[in-house]
Amino acid sequence: MSIQIENLTKIYNPDTDFPVTAVNHVDLQVEQDEFVAVMGPSGSGKTTLLNMMGGIDRPCEGTVIIDGTDITQLTDKELIGFRRDSIGFIFQDFSLLPVLTALENVEFVMQLQGKSRTECEARAVELLNDVGLGDRLSNVPGKLSGGQQQRVAVARALAPKPKFVLADEPTANLDAQTTYGLLDIMQQLNEKEGTTFIFSTHDPRVIERARRVIVFEDGKVAEDRVARAQKPEDRTL
Amino acid sequence: MTPEFTVRLAWRNIWRQKRRTLITAGAIAVALLLSLVMRSMQEGSYSHNLDNATRFYSGYLQLQDSGFAENQSIDKLLPADQAFVERIRSIRGVTIAVPRLESFALGAAGDRSKGVMVMGVAPQAEDAYSGLAERVLKGRYFTSEDEKAVLVGGKLAEYFSLRVGDEFVLYGQGYHGTTAAGLYRVAGIIHFPNQQIDARIVYLPLKTAQALYQTGNQVSAWVLHGNAVKEIPALEKSARKQMGKDVNVRDWADISPELAQQIGLDRASGMFMILVLYGVVGFGLFATIAMMTLERRREFAVMLATGMGRAKLQVLVVLESLFIALTGVIMGLVLAFPILLWFYYHPIQLTGNLAETFEEMGFEAIMPFSLAPELFAGQILIVLTLLVICSLYPVARIFKLEVAAGLKGNL
Repeated sequence: MSIQIENLTKIYNPDTDFPVTAVNHVDLQVEQDEFVAVMGPSGSGKTTLLNMMGGIDRPCEGTVIIDGTDITQLTDKELIGFRRDSIGFIFQDFSLLPVLTALENVEFVMQLQGKSRTECEARAVELLNDVGLGDRLSNVPGKLSGGQQQRVAVARALAPKPKFVLADEPTANLDAQTTYGLLDIMQQLNEKEGTTFIFSTHDPRVIERARRVIVFEDGKVAEDRVARAQKPEDRTL
Repeated sequence: MTPEFTVRLAWRNIWRQKRRTLITAGAIAVALLLSLVMRSMQEGSYSHNLDNATRFYSGYLQLQDSGFAENQSIDKLLPADQAFVERIRSIRGVTIAVPRLESFALGAAGDRSKGVMVMGVAPQAEDAYSGLAERVLKGRYFTSEDEKAVLVGGKLAEYFSLRVGDEFVLYGQGYHGTTAAGLYRVAGIIHFPNQQIDARIVYLPLKTAQALYQTGNQVSAWVLHGNAVKEIPALEKSARKQMGKDVNVRDWADISPELAQQIGLDRASGMFMILVLYGVVGFGLFATIAMMTLERRREFAVMLATGMGRAKLQVLVVLESLFIALTGVIMGLVLAFPILLWFYYHPIQLTGNLAETFEEMGFEAIMPFSLAPELFAGQILIVLTLLVICSLYPVARIFKLEVAAGLKGNL
């Protein structure tokens, strides 16, 4: 799996007197199994970059090629299918469906994929066990803490066996203890499932765990470095 | 996503805001209850009164000679022999067929005269059908098929100052230019509900009328009745098929256009009231659906981002709206049915002036209710139509939703 971004540009209000360039001619490549943090201040264009990588937003210019497919050329319908089968999403506010249990939330995308009920349930139970929520299968999000909800969101993102997971500030609403627990889980799943994780964040706790850090400023890649990721036992609260 | 999962998700979604869902469903239920009660009362009354009124005058259908309707000529008659009766029996759905000979004559008593409507009826069959004997206010009903007696409308009797036993002369044109003239004794004075007819009507036994007009065994009309008012169209279709082109088949609305117009106006005003009611409820339903759409725009965007197709999402929200509407419909039916059932078996008895007005018009002074399935189906269809109209909004919103904007909370 590889993601190849070339000359990616997004300008909001391009035909007005005040155009805003959120992403400015960015070139980037992400490979299989990477655990990447895209960091930068608010408004630097991190979320816009992730949205275009995930086919949620369309660029004004440039290409996003995932395993040979230029997703900027896909139709709306094709993009929905691509997102469903190839990309996992984790949102800052968890964004679980409030009326579904933890198990059903994880099954949701697999249901969309048309997988059998048995397969959906087995995979969802496995993932919820992996994230330490094997005893919370039938709890609705309202009955879970913020950290537990985000762990369900991680399990949901991984459920359809995506090529990569995009996480937009996944720890922004979590305390330190919960953040480290979540990062442990994501690291383990990154290794176990071989799934690429790409985070947008300005949380130093996430950055210290990333194996690669891309610093984003004013819509451009200011720095792209390989980091020495801390192991869980190295962490300091 | 399996249909079962979609249904489960939609059902749970509507109960996220229990109070709002219950208020919206409750509004639909109350609208359904009120409209069902109103329509049930209307249709029940129409059906009952029409059955009453048609028995006394037009019947559900009349068979007439093809030329009779034009000028009601005494020369345009139908046979009353056994062969013709057999043809009538072949009409599917006919429960009663009674012969009548209707024409005009100059009536005279003392030194007064007046144009009258002469109605020759088969005494026993007519009484069994229309209960004519019960309308006799003074005197008696016919005792034989060919007695030289008349029953006179109350207003007409007043005009001529007739009393039971008085003589009454009829004079007019008979069959094929013959002279129709006869002297009869007033056997009784009847009350005909329609005042205009009450001032003109004179009943004779059929054979007496046939002798007066020298028609032989012929009649001006065969009056047909069926099982129920709603079966009239089928009855009419069968009658046309069986009787051919020489026989004119006319329904009650054609014979009594005033009554048809009156019912039509009443029905239209009722429908207008119901549409106003549903209009108000429709705005309530729309407000709920709009709120359900607007407050969940980010959730919709997340669902689209994670791979749910727009069509599936649209189906989900329409299903949610459908569940709210169906909850309202079920609540409405549960409330309405016992009420309608009670009034179906215990019609409202009218009293005072209203009762008199009804009786004047020839209707029984009661307000019966209808339990016709099409009544319920019609109201449910209105609710579902409202639902379809209201659902256009979320469907359009989801169609236009940009996922990136939606994730930021914009729709």
